[in-house]
Formats: sequence, structure tokens, C-alpha cells
Amino acid sequence: MTDEPVPNNPPSTVSVVVVDDHAIFRSGLRSDLDSRIRVVGEAATVEEAVAVVRARRPDVVLLDVHLPGGRGGGGAEVIAGCGDLGASTRFLALSVSDSAEDVVAVIRAGARGYVTKTISGAGISDAVFRIASGDAVFSPRLAGFVLDAFGTAAVASTGTELDRLSARELEVMRLIARGYSYKEVAKELFISVKTVETHVSAVLRKLQLSSRHELTRWAAERRLL
Amino acid sequence: MKPPLLRSPDGLVAGVCGGLAVHLGVRLRVVRVLMVLLALAGGAGVFLYAWLWIFVPMASDRLVAPLRFAPPAPTLRPPPAPALFLPAAAALPSPAAPHPPSAPSEPGNAAPPVAGAFVRPARRAGGRLRPGRKELLLGVGLLLLAGVFIAQELGFAVSLRQVLPVAAAGVGAVLAWSQLDDARREGLRNKAGADRAAGLARLLLGLVLVMVGVLVMVSGAISWDLTWATLLATGAVLAGVALVLAPWALRFWKDFEDERAGRVREAARAEIAAHLHDSVLQTLALIQNRAGSEQDVVRLARAQERELRHWLYADPAGHSGNLTERLRALAGEVEDSYGHPVEVVAVGDAPLTAGQEALAQAAREAIVNAAKHAGGTVSVYLEAGPSGSEAFIRDRGPGFDPLAVPADRLGIRESITTRMQRHGGAATIRSGPDGTEVHLKMPEQENRSHDG
Repeated sequence: MTDEPVPNNPPSTVSVVVVDDHAIFRSGLRSDLDSRIRVVGEAATVEEAVAVVRARRPDVVLLDVHLPGGRGGGGAEVIAGCGDLGASTRFLALSVSDSAEDVVAVIRAGARGYVTKTISGAGISDAVFRIASGDAVFSPRLAGFVLDAFGTAAVASTGTELDRLSARELEVMRLIARGYSYKEVAKELFISVKTVETHVSAVLRKLQLSSRHELTRWAAERRLL
Repeated sequence: MKPPLLRSPDGLVAGVCGGLAVHLGVRLRVVRVLMVLLALAGGAGVFLYAWLWIFVPMASDRLVAPLRFAPPAPTLRPPPAPALFLPAAAALPSPAAPHPPSAPSEPGNAAPPVAGAFVRPARRAGGRLRPGRKELLLGVGLLLLAGVFIAQELGFAVSLRQVLPVAAAGVGAVLAWSQLDDARREGLRNKAGADRAAGLARLLLGLVLVMVGVLVMVSGAISWDLTWATLLATGAVLAGVALVLAPWALRFWKDFEDERAGRVREAARAEIAAHLHDSVLQTLALIQNRAGSEQDVVRLARAQERELRHWLYADPAGHSGNLTERLRALAGEVEDSYGHPVEVVAVGDAPLTAGQEALAQAAREAIVNAAKHAGGTVSVYLEAGPSGSEAFIRDRGPGFDPLAVPADRLGIRESITTRMQRHGGAATIRSGPDGTEVHLKMPEQENRSHDG
């Protein structure tokens, strides 16, 4: 991740709004981000976030899952509040939370990815570019959640297409959970990175659209009490 | 130090004697006999008992207040760390103390009841001892009846017309009063109040009994016509008073609820504060001391993060003794001793059988190797289920040639490969310039039980 221009990466600069209630974290993240990523705004609460995102129309919003303000919905509420912006603004959830319910809530609200806050500067920059170009970003932990929620047996499920992962998607999820990067997954499975991205996006779509009640129940069970 | 005077939840009637026995350090039976003797001495015991019943709080009231914080927020689940429970644990022994002295008098107590945590005493009193209470009531009734007959035999003109209404009123009053006791306990125990209907029925029954008793008593003196008119007038007045007082009563009730909710919040806050003080503040102090050493700071921060995460997010159902928990603990140890982050992602869980323990130990060895030789973040992925478990330990070090490892190096061969094979599992190691990945697989034997 150096400053050399990447010709095959269409968005050469990416505008970003950072939403987090901790000023220290915001400034830390700001200095960690790649120089091709322009921070056009910051917000600390749900209301501020919705206002700033609507005013600036950034390519990517780095969104903390837990935010004060609003009706208490946190990051998911921000996404819902900006729902009419469409695909021009994409959300990357950023959290320290381990709770499956938080993660699933924000993903189902429409976030294109989820990373933990301990991610490195290069890692987050990479994720921002990926999100900006329309891909999904899965951390190993999110992949673990997906596997836990959908089950690790691909064929046993009887639901509709949205309710289960294909064998390939399962393989991809497993490798990501094992800590593989997309490139390494591609190499491992003898497919192109683009195909990996397609699989991951498909899983994300299933995670967002699946009406399977087990998913909700599973997340609720993971809640503490 | 004398234990506080609290009514025992195991009592036959209201636990007054039990509480007194504990407070005074006398045998329960002695207190009971004394109380009965006093009761026979012109009813002094009865008055004493009633007085204590009204003014001495239940042990469970005291016990429940600081402990009922569990449900309100997800983060307030009682944590597994034992140190956090010190305040609560310190509060427990004193109200629980009534059990040992009272146990010998009731043989059934020996069997340990449900795993109902701290509401156990109250529940036991409610569920098991009520039959005893019923018999007691019956006995008292029979005794009174006998007294009446004896009085008649001796020549006192006691007409049934006079006794019955008084008895009815008395029984009704006792019913209503015992209801008050239970209602308070019930309300504290669970707000849902499954027993509400039964309690209400008892209250109504008591009320009706008292009213009928009083009415019959009164109607002996005045004519029925007048009685009905009076009843109507009384009803109207009572309704008017109720109308006036209702808002006030409602407000009183609301204040009471608010106050109780506030107390619950306060207890929860104290609990969190205690935990934060024990863990986070200590770590922050340590970090300030070691600000010079980056590795120490990272290590402390990681250890604290892990501990706090465990407290906040640990699966409440996932009791210790399971594979996931074990692997996380082992990974945490390695992280602490080598200072390299170990990211554990676990899917599913399995009971910790000998085979799975071997897998966890082999995984630990692999994590140690990765932390020692490769450095950087170590990714651990565990997939466990009823049919067995698989673990992947991956690092991004320079890699090595598994075959080139000298034969005298026991680490990999003995601790990982042989250990897995001994328990019917397998280990494969892939290493390349992108890093090393150890794959461990341990099928669950058929003959092992899967309960856990």
C-alpha cells in the first residue's frame, strides 16, 4: 500500500466521512488512512452523521456500530437515515463489538462490510478502496459469524436460495475466517480475485436479504441474555 | 457479630421464629416452644408474633434487593469472573445463614433443590412448605373449636352465632395478611407474577370472609333492612374515597416502582464500576507505568481487551469446559507470553473430550510456534461440531520446510503430529513464503457421549 497510482482501480481518490463518537479514534483513523483517501467530514452522533453524509455525499462512510443519539439504533440507524442516497454512498461498519447481534444488525441495514477497529492503517485503506469499487469486505470474524449463522453444512438446508450458502461460497468464507486475504483465497481455490469478490458479494447479499428466521434467532441467542 | 434480625424464608407461618433463633443464636425448636407457651399465656405470644411479622423484614427482601440487576441490559449479565461477585458473595452468607440451624428440624431439606441461584430459599418456601402451613392452619382451627366446646362444657354460654362470624373474620384477615407477605416476595421475585391470579383470589376470599363475618356480627344487632341501607351507604362512601385516593395511590405506586428501578440501576452501576476498577483502571495504570515499552503496552492492552470482551460478550450458554472456551484461553495465554496478537474465530462448539483437549493442546503448540518464529498476527480458526473439530493456525512469517526440521526438535513432531495421531486425529503443515498454516483435525469418536 504505497502512494503509487493504481491504474486498474477506477476510483483514484475516495472521499470518506468518518463517523465515530470518539474524537481520538477519528483523528487516529484520519492519520492512518492512505493519502488517496480524502476525509471530507466527521460526525459523532447519529443526527450529525445523517446530516454530514447527506451534505457531503462521500463515496464511503466509515461507520461505528455504536453511536449515541437518534433513537438508539447506532450505525444501523444512520444507514437507514441515508437510505435514499442509493449506491453512490457505501457504508463500512467499524466496531470493537464482538456481539453477533450488532454485526448482523448493521450488515442487514445495508453496510457493505465489517471490520474490527484493531485493523491496521493499510488494512482499512484497502477495505475503503474495496468498498468504493462496489465490493464487500469481510473480516475473518464476520466470516466466522456467517458460517455460524448459516451453518457449515452447505447442502443440508432446505430453505430457498437465499437461505443457504453454495459449496463455493462456503469454501470462500472458511478461507477468509482462516485469515486468508482475497488474493490468497483466489490462489488457494484456483479462481480469480474477481470471482472471490463475486462470491463474497453474494454472501453479503444473502446475509442482508435472507428472510430465514434462524438468522435472527441465532443473532438473538448470541445476545447476552 | 450477631446476624441481623430477619424473618426466615423457610418458616412455617411467617418465619418469625426461625429469624429469632438465628438472631439470638438459640435452637429453632426452643424459640417455637417458647412462642407457643407465650401464646397460651393470655395470647401474648400471638401479639408478639404478629408484631414481629409486621415489622421484621424478610430475609429474601434483603437478599433480593442488591442482586436483582440481571435482566435490564445485555451487558449486565452476571460475569463469569469470580472476583466480580465479591460484593454479592459477601452479602449472601448472612441471609443464607438461617438454613443450617433450621435444616435438622426438617428432614426433607437435605435434598438439594433446584439450581435456582439466589431465589432458592423463597421458592422453596413457596413450593414445598405451604402444605405444612395448611396443616398448621387446620390445627389452629381445630384447637379453637376444641376451646369453644370446652368452654361450653364448662358452662360458659358461647353461642355458635357469636363464634362463627368472629372466626370467619379472623380467617379472612389471616388470608389477606399472608397474601401481603407473599405479594411482596412475589413482586420482587418476578414482575410477571405467574401466581398473581391465585394471590388475588386469596385476597378476595379473605375480604369476603371478613365482610361476611362483620356483617353477620352486626346483623345480630340491627335489622336486615337497615343493614342493606347501611351497606349501600358504606359502599358509596368507600367508592367516593377510592375515587379521590386513586390518583394518589397510583402515584405512590409509580414512585415506588421508580425508586426500585433506580435501586436496580444503582446496583448494576456499582457492579460495573467495581469491575472497571478491578480491571480497566488497573490496566490503564500499568500502561502509564510502562509507556516506554511498546510491546508491554500492546500486551497489556490486548490482555485487557480480551478480559473485557469475555465479560461483555461471552456466550452465556457456553459454559467453560467446552472446546471453544479452552482454545480461546490457551490462545490468550500465548498472546500474553509472546506479545503477538492471536485472533481466534470459532464456529460452533464441542464438549471438551480427551480428543478435543489434545486438539486444543496441539493448537496451542502451533500458536506458540507461530508467535515465536513468525511473529505478527496469528489467525486461528476453529470449526467444531458433534462430528468432530478442525482447527487452522495461520501465520504470515517467512515459512519453513517441515521436512527440514531436525529430528531432535520435539516441538512439531511430538506436540502436534504425534499427539493428534495418538488421539485418532491428524495434523498437516503447509509452509510457504506467504506463511505457515497448521491444520488440525480431530474426529469425535462414536463411543463418546456428546452431552456436555
